[in-house]
Amino acid sequence: MKQFAKSTLKVPSVLLVAGMTFTAGAALAEPITVVSWGGSYGAAQDAALFNDASKNSGIEITRESGASMSKTCLQVESGAVTWDLVVTGSGGAASAAAKGCLEKIDYSVVDVSDFYDNLYTDYCVGSDVFATVMSWNTDKYGEPGSPGAPQSWADFWDVEKFPGTRAYRANNVDGALEPALMADGVPADQVYEVLSTEEGMKRAINKIRELKPHIAVFWDSGAMQAQLMKDGEVDMSTGWNGRFDNAKKDGAKVGYTFDQALLDYDCFAMPKGAPNKDVAMKFLAEVSKPEYQANLPFHITYGPTNKKAYELTTAPKELIESLPSHPNNVPKMLPVSLDWYAKNRTKALELYMELLSE
Amino acid sequence: MHQEPRDNQLNVEPLRAQEVREQWKLLSLASPALLVIVAIILIPVTWLFYLSFVGGDGQFSLEHYRKMIEYKSYSRTFITTFKVSILTTLICILIGYPLAYFLALLPQRLAGLFMLAVLLPFWTSLLVRTYAWLVLLQRKGILNDFAMQIGLWDSPVKLVHNMTGTLIGMAHIMLPFLVLPLYSAMKKIERDMMHAASNLGASPTYAFWKVYFPLSLSGLVAGSLIVFVLCLGFYVTPAVLGGGRVVMVSTQITAILENQFNWGAASALGVVLLLATLLILYLASRLFKLDAVLFGKD
Amino acid sequence: MYALDDVDLEVFSGEFLTLLGPSGSGKTTLLMAIAGFNRPDSGSIRFGDTEMILTPPHKRDVGMVFQSYALFPHMTVAENIGFPLKLRKVNSAETAERVTEALATVQLTGLGDRKIDQLSGGQRQRVALARAFVFRPRILLMDEPLSALDKKLREQMQIELKQLHRQLGVTTVYVTHDQREALTMSDRIAIINHGKLAQVDTPQAIYNRPSNSFVADFIGESTILPLTLDTQERLLFEEQLVLDHLPEAFSKDNSRDWSLVVRPERISLNADSQRSENDCLVFRGEVKEFVYQGETALALVKVGKDYDISVRLGTNAASSQTMMKPGDEVNLSLSRDDVIVIPQEKTP
Repeated sequence: MKQFAKSTLKVPSVLLVAGMTFTAGAALAEPITVVSWGGSYGAAQDAALFNDASKNSGIEITRESGASMSKTCLQVESGAVTWDLVVTGSGGAASAAAKGCLEKIDYSVVDVSDFYDNLYTDYCVGSDVFATVMSWNTDKYGEPGSPGAPQSWADFWDVEKFPGTRAYRANNVDGALEPALMADGVPADQVYEVLSTEEGMKRAINKIRELKPHIAVFWDSGAMQAQLMKDGEVDMSTGWNGRFDNAKKDGAKVGYTFDQALLDYDCFAMPKGAPNKDVAMKFLAEVSKPEYQANLPFHITYGPTNKKAYELTTAPKELIESLPSHPNNVPKMLPVSLDWYAKNRTKALELYMELLSE
Repeated sequence: MHQEPRDNQLNVEPLRAQEVREQWKLLSLASPALLVIVAIILIPVTWLFYLSFVGGDGQFSLEHYRKMIEYKSYSRTFITTFKVSILTTLICILIGYPLAYFLALLPQRLAGLFMLAVLLPFWTSLLVRTYAWLVLLQRKGILNDFAMQIGLWDSPVKLVHNMTGTLIGMAHIMLPFLVLPLYSAMKKIERDMMHAASNLGASPTYAFWKVYFPLSLSGLVAGSLIVFVLCLGFYVTPAVLGGGRVVMVSTQITAILENQFNWGAASALGVVLLLATLLILYLASRLFKLDAVLFGKD
Repeated sequence: MYALDDVDLEVFSGEFLTLLGPSGSGKTTLLMAIAGFNRPDSGSIRFGDTEMILTPPHKRDVGMVFQSYALFPHMTVAENIGFPLKLRKVNSAETAERVTEALATVQLTGLGDRKIDQLSGGQRQRVALARAFVFRPRILLMDEPLSALDKKLREQMQIELKQLHRQLGVTTVYVTHDQREALTMSDRIAIINHGKLAQVDTPQAIYNRPSNSFVADFIGESTILPLTLDTQERLLFEEQLVLDHLPEAFSKDNSRDWSLVVRPERISLNADSQRSENDCLVFRGEVKEFVYQGETALALVKVGKDYDISVRLGTNAASSQTMMKPGDEVNLSLSRDDVIVIPQEKTP
């Protein structure tokens, strides 16, 4: 048993998840629990960030899947916190922080001096930049940029020009309303202004209702977006750019565009009362270093939050240019407004659920 | 002779005391079980009720219930939930009744073998079974491929990510819950019953509907109720096979928790679902003798 | 279920015929064949002149009382009894009338609204009976209907069934493994063994003239003694002449062995060893065992070269001679009328 426990410690990542119950006896310090998502996202983080950061810092980690801010809050409220670092969307972190579920980040430990200004907050440190894009089956509608290929949300809605089935977000309003307004002709820079009234939200909902007969599936995870495109279950889907790139690597006939996409970021947050707060903070400082982020694009096409990573990365030029946070791509996109979500998320979700339940 | 009745009564008091003591002892034997029930059922349910009346500001509030009236999505998900549950139950009855009847007719050993096949879903992971259906039923799935190859239909038929797929998956998972009680009720029907009916002049069809069916009804009601109630709270299968188009109460509870961390609103939904379930059980108990059905009384 | 082999049985109109045999002998199989629940591979079942072998059970118009009663628990007593009438499209007024009448016949007047589970065993039995005859079937079949009742109730019901049969006059085929029940109730008894008819006759004939050793042994108590056949075709027991000729049916067959069947109650106890005119056999023997059983006493007496004969004696308070003890010497005699001679089964 000892033998086995030691060997799992030297090979963290996936094996560690299975071996977690054995680690306690063999380790000197308590391993910290780092929670991310399943599918290619978590695997990419293991390969680029967690494994090397753990090795270099000597901090042992236990990896779990199924990260969620609601579970984090449940742990905090019930006083049984077992997680130390949790991956979350920026909006989720903002909501959880507002509910008092998160520890403040100690920026004397975590160095964000080279970070983009808007990619860290008091309660979370950006881990990567991603985009909510529209993707399509390239066999059906052509390669991105080729004549006749879809270019805008208006095309996503245009079932006459692009006949076929669509997939859209299920049971969560994040990134669901903005595309509808853009498809309805609202310029990107006015989207959140329009959405800040109930009429604006209803306008977006109505636009989605218009498309609903053609929405064959509502996805509720990144893994599902990739699967739907891989299986050819739908012809066009919204989703996260990295998932589609990885699906493409797996042989899926899928392409996407950054035009009118939503620019957003994921981050690390720490549950209030995390059991290994200090060690976890050190680990957070370690993974936020540019040398790790520089490796991320090899595994998933999400951009670094640390500017220095662009200097350090050995990734080829095409790969760098395909990242959502690349200066060429950023101007095409609409950055997600955390302010708007903080104020309107609850109301928007109620309206969106009304539409879904119809 | 005259003193004897008094003597005879001497034992009465001590015996009564002893009886009371024994009853308490018996009760104390049951206390661990009672404690477990209180711990795992009553306390969480009470907590659920309490949470559903606490507003965002931590004060007593009816806001969660008010919201359920204000937004149509709530009543719709309840209707969907009941619709899915009723349809699944009906499908299970349509498939399960003939199946149980067939099993009850088979000789014991053969019936055991078939029962194993019926029970197999019980021992397979729910998630695995659900995704297996996805693989079978999706647009470019095995079934569509096959049907198009042999020319049954020309373009893919939408079998999953909708109500159809949900019902197929649910019925598959729920079938054993219907078949088991039904089979055991059917096994209790003596062969002589059908002989008697036929001997008295009933055709096989008449004998079935007037004698066999009424006698198997208790098992059918028990199985159907179990299936129905289990369906009401089901999450995984509708979430995966419904493709986001079949929004059940459980789905909505998850959405509220995941996006709003709003335990009060989620609890309120749970409370309403619980009450609706109890109401249905109550109505069913008016219609059928439920205690007989569920606890096997005659 | 036992296979039936070459059973040729005629049931007379209006009679009470009992199928008697050990369990597994095929008597229930025969009853089920009459009811139509199993179909013989070959042969024929006729009601009057109508061939019924291909007629399904529900069209045979045969009433049956099952061993388990098979009353429908989801119906009341009246609904159970009315069930066959409803199927025969009898209108509701007449149905009610006939149900009431049937209930009166089985002495259950007023219990029509009861549920089956509110009835005692005896009452259920009567309901089963009423349901079986209420539609005036051509034949009434009963499959060990009294076996679930206790002894006292069983004996009472035997008499009642007999009376009911006389009252209704319906042809009845009754299955039992209880010989006393068969003897009590039947006009005729058909004894079945290993799927074959062993003997069909009236109770008296069966008891007094069993035609083979199975019947002799199965019905009543008996001691079976071997006989020897002399050159003049006379049958002897221990040198005493039993019959001076072979029974007619077997007169040409002297390759068989023969036995004497002695019923214990037919043996007389004598004061001396004198042979009276009517005596066929006289023995002197030694009492090996004596058991007092209330209305009778049973003695086991050793006679001749080690044959044990059971002797049943009446008892009364005054008689001292009925009290014996092992070792006593006694004189026994068997009258000519009580001699039962049977051929041994041929063992191929």
